[in-house]
Amino acid sequence: MMVTGVKITLLLLLVTSITSLCLGTVIAIMRMSRTRALRFFGRLYVEIFRNIPGLFWLLFFYFVFPELLPYGLGDKLNAYDNYPIVAAIMGLTVDNASYVSDILRSGRLAIPDSQREVAISTGLNRVQQYLYVLLPQMFRAILPPLGTRMVHNFKNTSLCMAITVPELTWATQQIESLTFRGLEATAIATVFYIALSLSMVAVIILLEKYYKIDISSMTQAKGR
Amino acid sequence: MIKFINVNKKFSDECIPLKNINLEISRGEVVVICGPSGAGKSTLIRVINKLETIDSGEIIVDGKHLSDPRTNLTALRAETGMVFQQLNLYPHKTALKNIMLAPMKVRKLSKREAEEKSMKLLEKVGLAHKYNSYPSQLSGGEQQRVAIARSLAMEPKIMLFDEPTSALDPELINEVLDVMISLAEEGMTMIVVTHEMAFAQRVASRVVFMDFGEILEIGKTPDIFVDPQHHRTKEFMSNILHTPVFCYNEPKNK
Repeated sequence: MMVTGVKITLLLLLVTSITSLCLGTVIAIMRMSRTRALRFFGRLYVEIFRNIPGLFWLLFFYFVFPELLPYGLGDKLNAYDNYPIVAAIMGLTVDNASYVSDILRSGRLAIPDSQREVAISTGLNRVQQYLYVLLPQMFRAILPPLGTRMVHNFKNTSLCMAITVPELTWATQQIESLTFRGLEATAIATVFYIALSLSMVAVIILLEKYYKIDISSMTQAKGR
Repeated sequence: MIKFINVNKKFSDECIPLKNINLEISRGEVVVICGPSGAGKSTLIRVINKLETIDSGEIIVDGKHLSDPRTNLTALRAETGMVFQQLNLYPHKTALKNIMLAPMKVRKLSKREAEEKSMKLLEKVGLAHKYNSYPSQLSGGEQQRVAIARSLAMEPKIMLFDEPTSALDPELINEVLDVMISLAEEGMTMIVVTHEMAFAQRVASRVVFMDFGEILEIGKTPDIFVDPQHHRTKEFMSNILHTPVFCYNEPKNK
């Protein structure tokens, strides 16, 4: 049971880290778009998903979302054995993406506008400007807060026990109620959570070192 | 090559960077634009590749009207090199990669072609040995020379320089000016905003003096230094020529 719990927790961590990073990037780019409507929907997304608790979104995707779908599709989802995991991934993703997009936006603001101007003046189009000039610098600039956010998202996976996802925290509770050996199970879970959080932090520190861009050269480029 | 016809631009009632500008620059000319801070010098060259838009008038670059929606702006920009005051190499790329990016992505050169071309340009600006350095490992002068090479990689027909030496230590200015002088001698069409009057005297075919968004005087070198006509030009020239040129560093104007 513990082993399955660890597996599910890792699965949630891996999948939602990637999906929320992708969704967050899309939302961040929408928010910086020249098109008013895109900016509006980007903003709307962030305000909705950031200001309502993550647990609510888990419950929403588990209980409410299938009801909203056209008749038949929702039933199929409810009948699907792994639907709790799917709902968990959706809930964690939309929650985390709202934070990721805001962090990314702060990264964009940290890059001097002259970087974009250079890219324009050498003839790069909008997509190329983001792909080769802005996004690589944005991700480097936001590594520390982004790392913290990802650790936070990892811890949020424990909320998924509320929608019957057999992840690690759920497993400790099951063991407690079945065998009354909750103390041991919780201890193991604690060690696992700390170990994984710390290794995430270690990876982030390594990335920061590897991708360090000299801040002095960037502030200089900012002009006065 | 470049023609301004009655160009106007206004940020607010107090801030009018371009007032009724008429100017024609022909192929192979080197035009230096000078004037006090806030005179509209930077705006004048930024409108040429549409980093700023204009309110009225027309700009024709290489026979193409900038206001014409059919004008391919990206292509036009690719043919107009620009070097800025701020040191703005891409900080996450090495000198060589900085130069290679646009030729590969815009001109669709293969990696090898782009690499060869970029190395040649690095040699030209005297930095072939620094090809693998990141911008943070280069001095300001070296960064500006790589920035010039980066613009040249697109084989521009026109080069615009917006105070390329004003953010540099005095000692590093000449290495950048030398690169610009050799470009001018090769016949590149150049518009240079600068206060390096020694540079202007050496290569400029004409000097444009601006203040409050207006062109007050256009003179051939060296006439404009020796015998300026407008009283503001006289004042300005006497002020800056009495200051030893290599010490003169204008505050950023925005």
